[in-house]
Amino acid sequence: MDGDVGFFRKLPSALPGLALIIITMVVIRNWIEPWMTNAVVFGLKGWLVKVTHLNYILLGIICGMLYRNILFGGKIPEIFSDGFKLSRLMIKTGIIMLGSLYTVSAIVKLGAMAIFLIGGFVILTIIMVLWLGKLFGLDRSMTGVLANALSVCGVSAAVATSPAVEAKASHVAYAIATILGFGILTMFISPFIGHALELTDMQYGAWIGTGILNSGQVLAAALAFNPNVAPGTAVSVAEIWNIMRVISIPFAVFAVTIWYWAGKTEVEGGKKKGLGTLLVEKFPVFVIGFMVMVIITSMGAFGDVGIKGGPPASETIKLLRLWMTWIFGFGLVGLGGYIDFKELAKAGGTPLKLGLIVGITKYVLALIVVLLIKDYLVAI
Amino acid sequence: MNSEIKAGSETIGAAGEKSKMTLFKDDRAEDIGAIILSILVIAAAVVMTMK
Repeated sequence: MDGDVGFFRKLPSALPGLALIIITMVVIRNWIEPWMTNAVVFGLKGWLVKVTHLNYILLGIICGMLYRNILFGGKIPEIFSDGFKLSRLMIKTGIIMLGSLYTVSAIVKLGAMAIFLIGGFVILTIIMVLWLGKLFGLDRSMTGVLANALSVCGVSAAVATSPAVEAKASHVAYAIATILGFGILTMFISPFIGHALELTDMQYGAWIGTGILNSGQVLAAALAFNPNVAPGTAVSVAEIWNIMRVISIPFAVFAVTIWYWAGKTEVEGGKKKGLGTLLVEKFPVFVIGFMVMVIITSMGAFGDVGIKGGPPASETIKLLRLWMTWIFGFGLVGLGGYIDFKELAKAGGTPLKLGLIVGITKYVLALIVVLLIKDYLVAI
Repeated sequence: MNSEIKAGSETIGAAGEKSKMTLFKDDRAEDIGAIILSILVIAAAVVMTMK
C-alpha cells in the first residue's frame, strides 16, 4: 500500500504537468487541427492534413517531443515531471475503455487470427534475434533483452526480461533506445504507407499491431491513420493485435530465460523463475480490465455498440468514445514528452545494427503477410 | 545484477529511478490505477447519459 499512499501524496504535484498536457491537447483540437483542415496550401484546402496526415494524435506527440527537447532543453522541468508521469496511466485507461468497441463474438473471430499471427511473429523474431546475436558475437544478456524487446512489446518486455538474464542497465538502455528510435520512425511513416497502399482499416490495424514494437506507438500509428474510434476502425483492430502481444510477455520472458540459463556454462548464484511466478509477477492486469469491459459491453450494459449494419451506438457509448479520444490524446502528449533525442543517440554499434535488421524485417514481413492473408482477415 | 532497474522506468533510453515514467510504485500498481480510473470515467458517462 506504500505505493498507493505515495501516488495520492504525489498527485497534487502532478497538476501543473497535467494542466500543460490538457491545455496542449485542447489547443490542438480546438484551434490547430481545424486551422490545418481549412488552411489553403499550394492552392489546396486541407493540404496539411491530406498530405502530411497530421492529426491531433501526431500533433500531440510532436508537441510533447518539442517541449522536452527544444522548449525545456532536454529534460521535463521538475514542476511538470509528475504530470507527465501520468501519461501511461491515461493510455492504459483508454485501452480499458476501448473494450467498449468490441463484443465477445468479434474478439473470438478476430482474436483467433491475431493469436496465430502474433504468436508466429513472436517466435520467429526471438529465433532471429538469438541467431543474429550469436552471429554478431553479442553479449548473451544483451541478446536476451533485445530478443524480447523486438518480439513482444518493446519497453515493457525489455524491462521484464532484464532481471531474468542478468542484464546491465546499459543493456536495457541500448535495447530501449534502439527499439523506440525505430518505433518513432515507423509511427510517422506507417500512415503514409497505409494510405499509399490504400489499406483498409482492418489490414492497416493488423499490420501495425504486428509490425510496430511499442504499445504507445501502435496506438499513435493507428489513430494517425484514422482518428475515429469505433468498431472496425484501425485502432480497434490494432489494439486487439497489441493486447494479444502484451499477453504473451510472460511466456516470451520465460522462453528467453530458459535459453539464457540453458546456455550458461557457469551459474553464479542466479535463481531461475518458473512460468507461474513470471505470470503472477509480470502479467499486465489492465488487460483483464479490457476483457471485463468487452464482456460488460457484450451484455448490453451500455446499450448498442454501433457495429456496421446494426443499430446506432447508444449515447453512453458515444460519450465513452469521445472521452476516449481525449484520454488517448492526453496520454500521447505525455508519451512525446518522454522521447529524448539525446537518449536515443545512445543506441549504437552492434545492438543498433541487430535491432534495425530485425525491426525492419518484422515491419516489412508483417505488411507482406497481412496483404497475403487479407481475404482471411475477419471484419468486425 | 541491475537492481537499479525498476519496473515502470520506461523513459526512452533511461533505466533508472530518476526517469521513472509513472507516479505509481510499479507497473502492477499503475495497471490497477488504470482500472479504477476507467471505472470512474465509465460511471460518470453512464450517469450523464441516464434518462
